[in-house]
Amino acid sequence: MRLFALIFFASALLCRGAESAAGRWEGPAQIPGRELKLVLDLSEEAGKGWIGSIIIPGLAVKGAPLIDRKASGPDLVFEIKGALGNEKAGPAEIQAHLTADNRLKGNFKQGGNTAPFVLEKTGPPQVELPPRNTAVSKELEGEWKGEYELMGYARHVTMKFTNRGPEGAGLEFIIVGKKTNNVPVSLVTQEGDFVTIKSDEFGMTYEGRFRKEAGEINGSLTQGPFEVPLLMRRKP
Amino acid sequence: MSIFRLAVAAVALFCAEFAQAQTMFRGDPAHSGNSAGQAPRQFHRVKWKFPTGDRLVSSPVLQDKQLYFGGDDGNIYAVEAETGRQIWKRPTGGPVPSTPAVANGMVYAASYDGKFYALNAQTGAVKWKFATGGERRFEAKGIHGLEPKNQTIADQFDVFLSSPVIAQSAVYFGSGDGHLYALDANSGELKWKFKTGNVIHASPAYADGVLYVGSWDSYFYAVDAATGKEKWRFHGGEDPLIHNQVGFQSSAAVADGVVYVGCRDSNLYALEAATGKEKWRFNNEMSWVISSPAVAEGKIFFATSDSSLYHVVDAATGKSVLKQLDKAYMFSSPTVAGDVVLIGVLNGSLVARDRNSGDLLWEFQTEASKQNKGWVLTADRKFNGPMLYYSSWREAPTVSTDRQFSIGAIFSTPLVANGVVYFGSTDGNLYAIE
Repeated sequence: MRLFALIFFASALLCRGAESAAGRWEGPAQIPGRELKLVLDLSEEAGKGWIGSIIIPGLAVKGAPLIDRKASGPDLVFEIKGALGNEKAGPAEIQAHLTADNRLKGNFKQGGNTAPFVLEKTGPPQVELPPRNTAVSKELEGEWKGEYELMGYARHVTMKFTNRGPEGAGLEFIIVGKKTNNVPVSLVTQEGDFVTIKSDEFGMTYEGRFRKEAGEINGSLTQGPFEVPLLMRRKP
Repeated sequence: MSIFRLAVAAVALFCAEFAQAQTMFRGDPAHSGNSAGQAPRQFHRVKWKFPTGDRLVSSPVLQDKQLYFGGDDGNIYAVEAETGRQIWKRPTGGPVPSTPAVANGMVYAASYDGKFYALNAQTGAVKWKFATGGERRFEAKGIHGLEPKNQTIADQFDVFLSSPVIAQSAVYFGSGDGHLYALDANSGELKWKFKTGNVIHASPAYADGVLYVGSWDSYFYAVDAATGKEKWRFHGGEDPLIHNQVGFQSSAAVADGVVYVGCRDSNLYALEAATGKEKWRFNNEMSWVISSPAVAEGKIFFATSDSSLYHVVDAATGKSVLKQLDKAYMFSSPTVAGDVVLIGVLNGSLVARDRNSGDLLWEFQTEASKQNKGWVLTADRKFNGPMLYYSSWREAPTVSTDRQFSIGAIFSTPLVANGVVYFGSTDGNLYAIE
């Protein structure tokens, strides 16, 4: 009886394994003239649905978050966040179907192009969680002003930090040059006195050291090939 | 009577053939960019294609029913315009992304081996060679913001070599050694050389005894063709930060006492030919103007790189007449051929537009562009950034640019004769389409 129960339990586990998309999946997507290796890590979190990340060696994509767009039974659709997106075609996508023989078959979509793939499960998932906004210190909260010069004319920068409880800090980030840009902020962190701000959409990063005694954040703004010093001070 | 008719017909045919001759880059010494022939208003077929051993950036020129062009495989070619049959090829020691010039039975072209070649137009035999101070691409530390910023990196977009212009029994061309050269066209003897501060890969334009050419030193020069003395210089933009918005890669066109030239500082300039004084500038908001402008009936035709725009502006005022959005960067120069304007696009398309309205008449797409290996292009045939420039480390930008140019990009400027359009592609083919 105990043996029967053990076999039954083991079979159930095997069956469950065969049916679950959770795991690390690897295989090539067939784009014209090139095999593109995909490594997907998928995990199902109670109450949160699917979480995941993707690695694409050769395209400098490592641990990009997979956002659950439409997971229903064996059919899964994930958006690749922060990498391979295209202004017109939108974000890159993984559309997959879990087959009865425990493979992920589907399409990799990018820039309006579509390539088929078949992925094999190679192990348990190693989902890379995206960095999250941290809270910022009380002294950093509020409005800061600065300016920098690029290509011959000045840009005026305003940053306004607010703490939002468990969501970490929020930031209003405005750059006024020839026109006013409300920079969409992807990440705000403060580690010690080191402040990092990222905008995936603008490809922009600001890194600065918060000097409480001087009342300033002394750092640099990087966008694509440009890196300029940017000193932020309290609003006068 | 029939003999008379035959003679008239023969003369007419000779004149037609003569009229269709386009013996140097942009068709004539002043670089008007006008073709004697009418381009087709509809695409019918590929008449022939001539494969070479590497990408083809040079533009074809035509004389006596023979096409001449350079190949990045190191050869200078002569090909029968009617059939695409090779007449001869002459190897040089480096790629030839220079458009040849033909005159008095000679073909002239520059090679990346640092030598300037004069060949017999019928046989390809070398008549003389002239060694410059050596070729190089424009280069700078941290160019375009590439890493490592302290390492000098060659500009991967410096794809052309200077194309020679022939006037007053001399042949004139620029060099990576920073000089504008004047050689005796017959003997190859140096008449003079004029020093600038950086690479010259634009082609000098010639009008009324003066040469007009820009350098990567940020200056545009007018030089006396007889003496090599500077007449004036004009200062374009500078970019000491990342060396992106600097240098004249575009070749000038001269018409009615005005010089029109594009610049990497994102402007198209109109300068007084006599003084160098700026008449107007047309700003393209950080988008390079590599394309060499064409001039026809009081209008300037040119295209931009990053913003992928085809522009027509009023020659007198610089005001926009029309603009059309294309799908990718344009380094090719527009050819005005009757009521059609043709231009190559780096996504592997040749685009034909109505000269007056700018409307798209037809598009030809190279096979490599259709195959879209490695998803260089998006589904709507624009450059697919994430699949091209995913690393900025050391040589990666060069590799990325090679990838970008792998889909049959058209740098070459189209030539039109007898209803046929000839141009080169980075898929290695010289195409004849009609």
